[in-house]
Amino acid sequence: MASKFWTQGGSDTEEESSDYDSENEDMGPVDNDAQTAGNRYLSVNASDSEDSDTQKRVVRSAKDKRFEEMLATVDQMKNAMKINDWVSLQESFDKINKQLEKVMRVMESDKAPTVYIKALVMLEDFLAQSLANKDAKKKMSSSNAKALNSMKQKLKKNNKQYEELINKYREHPESEEEPEDEEEEEEEESDDSEIEDPTKLDVSDQEEGSEVDEALDSQESGWKLKMSKKDSLLVKQFRDPKEATWEKVNKWFKEIVAARGRKGTGRYEQVEQLTFLSQVAKTPAQKLEILFSVVSAQFDVNPGLNGHMPVDVWKKCVQNMLVILDILMQYPDIVVSDSVEPDENESEKGPEYAGTIRIWGNLVAFLERIDAEFFKSLQCIDPHTRDYVKRLRDEPIFLVLAQNVQDYFERAGDFRAASKVALRRVELIYYKPQEVYDAMRKLAEQTEDNGEEAGEEPKVPEEGRVPTMFLVTPELVHRKPTFPENSRTFMDALVSLIYKYGDERTKARAMLCDIYHHALLDEFSTARDLLLMSHLQDSIQLMDISTQILFNRAMAQLGLCAFRVGLIAEGHGCLSELYSGGRVKELLAQGFSQSRYHEKTPEQERLERRRQMPYHMHINLELLEAVHLICAMLLEVPNMAANTHDAKRRVISKNFRRLLEVSERQTFTGPPENVRDHVMAATRALTKGDHESAFNAIKALDAWKLLRNKDSVLEMLRANIKEEALRTYLFTFSSSYDSLSVDQLNKMFDLSEAQVHSLVSKMMVNEELHASWDQPTRSIIFHEVEYTRLQALAFQFTEKLSVLTESNERALEAKIGGGGLELPMRRRDNQDYAGGATSGAGKWAEGGLSFNQGRQGSSEGRSGYSGRAYGMGQGGGYSRDRAGLVRGAGGYSSRAARGSHMDGSGRMVSLNRGFRT
Amino acid sequence: MAQYDLTPRIAPNLDRHLVFPLLEFLQERQLYPDEEILKAKIELLSKTNMVDYAMDIHKSLYHTEEVPQDMVERRAEVVARLKALEEAAAPLVAFLQNPNAVQELRADKHYNLQMLNDRYQIGPQQIEALYQYAKFQFECGNYSGAADYLYQYRALCTNSERSLSALWGKFAAEILMPNWDTALEELNRLKEIIDSKSFASPMNQVQSRIWLMHWSLYIFFNNDNGRTQIIDLFNQDKYINAIQTSAPHLLRYLATAFIVNKRRRTQFKDFIKVIQQEQHSYKDPITEFLACVYVNYDFDGAQKKMRECEEVILNDPFLGKRVEDGNFSTVPLRDEFLENARLFIFETYCRIHRRIDMGVLAEKLNLNYEEAERWIVNLIRGSKLDAKIDSKSGTVLMEPNHLNVYEQLIDHTKALSGRTYKLVGQVLEHGQTQATR
Repeated sequence: MASKFWTQGGSDTEEESSDYDSENEDMGPVDNDAQTAGNRYLSVNASDSEDSDTQKRVVRSAKDKRFEEMLATVDQMKNAMKINDWVSLQESFDKINKQLEKVMRVMESDKAPTVYIKALVMLEDFLAQSLANKDAKKKMSSSNAKALNSMKQKLKKNNKQYEELINKYREHPESEEEPEDEEEEEEEESDDSEIEDPTKLDVSDQEEGSEVDEALDSQESGWKLKMSKKDSLLVKQFRDPKEATWEKVNKWFKEIVAARGRKGTGRYEQVEQLTFLSQVAKTPAQKLEILFSVVSAQFDVNPGLNGHMPVDVWKKCVQNMLVILDILMQYPDIVVSDSVEPDENESEKGPEYAGTIRIWGNLVAFLERIDAEFFKSLQCIDPHTRDYVKRLRDEPIFLVLAQNVQDYFERAGDFRAASKVALRRVELIYYKPQEVYDAMRKLAEQTEDNGEEAGEEPKVPEEGRVPTMFLVTPELVHRKPTFPENSRTFMDALVSLIYKYGDERTKARAMLCDIYHHALLDEFSTARDLLLMSHLQDSIQLMDISTQILFNRAMAQLGLCAFRVGLIAEGHGCLSELYSGGRVKELLAQGFSQSRYHEKTPEQERLERRRQMPYHMHINLELLEAVHLICAMLLEVPNMAANTHDAKRRVISKNFRRLLEVSERQTFTGPPENVRDHVMAATRALTKGDHESAFNAIKALDAWKLLRNKDSVLEMLRANIKEEALRTYLFTFSSSYDSLSVDQLNKMFDLSEAQVHSLVSKMMVNEELHASWDQPTRSIIFHEVEYTRLQALAFQFTEKLSVLTESNERALEAKIGGGGLELPMRRRDNQDYAGGATSGAGKWAEGGLSFNQGRQGSSEGRSGYSGRAYGMGQGGGYSRDRAGLVRGAGGYSSRAARGSHMDGSGRMVSLNRGFRT
Repeated sequence: MAQYDLTPRIAPNLDRHLVFPLLEFLQERQLYPDEEILKAKIELLSKTNMVDYAMDIHKSLYHTEEVPQDMVERRAEVVARLKALEEAAAPLVAFLQNPNAVQELRADKHYNLQMLNDRYQIGPQQIEALYQYAKFQFECGNYSGAADYLYQYRALCTNSERSLSALWGKFAAEILMPNWDTALEELNRLKEIIDSKSFASPMNQVQSRIWLMHWSLYIFFNNDNGRTQIIDLFNQDKYINAIQTSAPHLLRYLATAFIVNKRRRTQFKDFIKVIQQEQHSYKDPITEFLACVYVNYDFDGAQKKMRECEEVILNDPFLGKRVEDGNFSTVPLRDEFLENARLFIFETYCRIHRRIDMGVLAEKLNLNYEEAERWIVNLIRGSKLDAKIDSKSGTVLMEPNHLNVYEQLIDHTKALSGRTYKLVGQVLEHGQTQATR
């Protein structure tokens, strides 16, 4: 929203033309005022050409008077030119000729003053330009056209007298003026409607300060183009601080602001002018008002949505914001809000004014915009360059600003706004592991010293330039960041504020960041509980895309975390959804994947590009894929071994199965190259129960070096592989054995006796393995319960029958709606429960189960096996879990679907929405 | 054993007065230094009106006869306030003590209010005063009086919020009296209200449930039937959710109830899952014991945990209730727990074994060889166990107990025919009603 708002200025062009006239009418009186008010100074400046001694300013000779009249007329002419009003131009021309006589008389010279010549040149140019523009000529009103023609004649006649002077002038426009200044002028002339080259302008930014004064000395300074003229006029106006009044500053301010977004208004110039104005402002309120405009003008500097704000402008912008905060700190009576329409003269009230002063402004919007620009700049800069690193170093500056803004809001009692700001801070911190966080802290402390200077740089010279600064703002808010030792405490403080005061979206985002951060710190259970308690899985598909991306990121990180702490099934549950569509990159906004089936329109592509995560926030995809596949392998390999009869029945990871099929189809298998190859090699070893080579294949992956606690993770992995290898081995070869001794298994799988015992017992209890222990001999006795083919088929048949019955019951229920059946009764219970769950805070038990058994739930739910649970009467508790499962899984997958298509095709999105609503 | 003491976690969820019995118990068990407990008691009493009692404790703690000035002042204050409240509530109390007058009351609340107002000039102020008076009585430790007044207040009160807090007050008073059967009634009443009432925020509802569960511990472990009731209450979805969210330590009591209760096996599996899930947020020997037996099948670990459980039970104010029997006191729950826990271990152990050495078994069951043999023979005779003893080799032989394939198939299909019949019946019924219509 903010960006839209701010960019309006740039795209206002079509409005502009219609507003043009009326605005000029508005400007008319203002300009006249300016003449009357500024007369004194103009005349003084005129006299400067002969005598630059300022002491004489007070003396007002007749000569000066004449001169100043002439200048006024020139001004009028310029105005007329602007609106292409030849009638008034003609009048002014007549007037200036009359004045010329007087001036000549007074000055007692026969040479026409340069001002006059300049006016002539200007007129001539303008005339030629207008004549050349045939279209415009045709559109002119008849009186205007007539005036134009007569002007043409008059000017031709008139100019003959001064031909020599004009030519001379044209050759050396302003003899006294500095050559650079002239260049600048030309530049501005040539491309004042375009965006100027930032670097160049920046140079001129610095220079102008010093130059302006010199340029001032020449009376011709009024001859610049409109804006630059104004600029120097401005400086002229306020050359002496004592002379500046609130009204004057205000008037100029209004004028400059009115020019915003108009064609021909240089964006940088506007920033310049406003910055200057802000220094001469009389009251704190006024300074504040102007500074707000400076900041918004700085936002205007970059017109497009795709580019980013130049870095130096960004930095200045941050500095301005800090000054704003200084003022607000110094004068707590000043209230900034965007809801009240302040009085015209609200800012006149000085610091001694007792009541509150209201100023229009929205600090949160500004801050968010600054953050957005920072984000965008990181998106645009190539991450492999030094620029990127340099840009990243600006992060602490922003954090300082955000901290100050947040403090301000907290002081002001506006916790809603404070929570928004806190979210921005959270979003900068959440993805940083403790190491990175420490590095940032160190950096912030390091740059303290030189950062002080760097931060002051734009300020100090300015202050130097205006020694008697109108309003000195002491630096009240701290300029260096204070970070708590531990990133977690930092997060906690911010997040709890947001939970307390934030709105829905802010809270959801903060929650996701919180989850991400917990996951980053290997606190899986905390992160999981947060996720389940917040019900974000259910509602995420209704949120905006960037939040969905954040959700995906949090899920990915949660999956990684689960893996790191050794929870394989949970890890797989988190990651499998991300990988089900094969569009991980898109889901995490870390790149684009080409789709074979539909082309993206450029518009979509642009949108997608705008959503991309900056490089430093990326989750390493290789690691993610490795973790996902390893989790899938550890779950799927024993599962496949257990269900050799009907391999299709229980598929845990479709993705993994597909990959396995592909790799099995290969005639030759080369040494593993990428992540998949490694995992496939490990899988082949694991299916034979060869845990060592399986582990070695996995250990060879490069991605492990990205893990902080690499060794312990690998150790965990080794243990897991051993266990799964044992299970797979038992499943596969149990039919070949009559009995197996524990010692043998110990040796084979390098596991302790207790582990083997526990694992095998578990399999026995779950009836996965038909065997029992023979305690005195410490061996496993296998029972011959292998079904014959016929028996197995008979079981399948009965299962299908129960599915059929189930669906019959459902059909009947749908038809007659409830009734005496047990099933509907139970279902109603479920609904009750669901209702209770959504109303109660703690629904997470069922969510937790869905979490743990997501895979089972989804697969069984799909094939309709839940009916069996009812039939066997396993109790309501069980079916309750089921309901939760299916619901959780369903919501989740639809999210994934939407997530994956959200940017792809509008068709898919609307389809999904249709389902949901 | 102080590490397994739950008092600090339970106390915040109790009324001040309810914490007393816990502190008494702790003092008796001497888990903490006496002084600390006495200090805690004074701290506890400082917010109540039982100033005299606080003074006594103060004296015994510091071994002086002097009491601090603020206590004396507080006492005067309390007495004054009691007087004032008594006066305010006097008309209504007088009315209620008159049996004839009370008979005039009817089931209709509005009628009653009207009648009181018209005939006895007892308006809302007096009724409100009754509530305050009852509350004050409660805080002074006069629980039976408070319970009576609150009961009568509830009959007259129209404000549902007030009525609810009066109910809480009554509940607490009944527990403290201790009057278990009435308390149980109040408990059920409260539960209904909590479940049906719409709360401002779900958090409040969860909080109420948690309070209810904590308070109910007094009843359930003092009532013969309590162990079934506690499962009924705690194992409801809403309540187990509340436990998981905010008070995982209650799992100890639920786990104990499950262990000592043989009839609740169907819900047991789900409960094991819950314990597994909550491992990271709460564990004590009792839950760990269950995890050992049913999750990890670590029987040696289970043995060890069982011994720890004993300690935990003895030191838990609710579980370790003593029964004085003549000269020596026993903790009935402990014996029951140990017996059942042993059975649990054995049961699971047998399920996965075909042949067990009797000696090992005896050791695992904490019995000697003969006892073990007798125990097993009894089990076999009670047809709880499908096994034979091979006394020559000194082993127990389990009969393989997996079902015949045909039996399984029949099992699978048996239910189907029933369901189909039902279905057909329904279709026909439906068709008939349609036809007659």
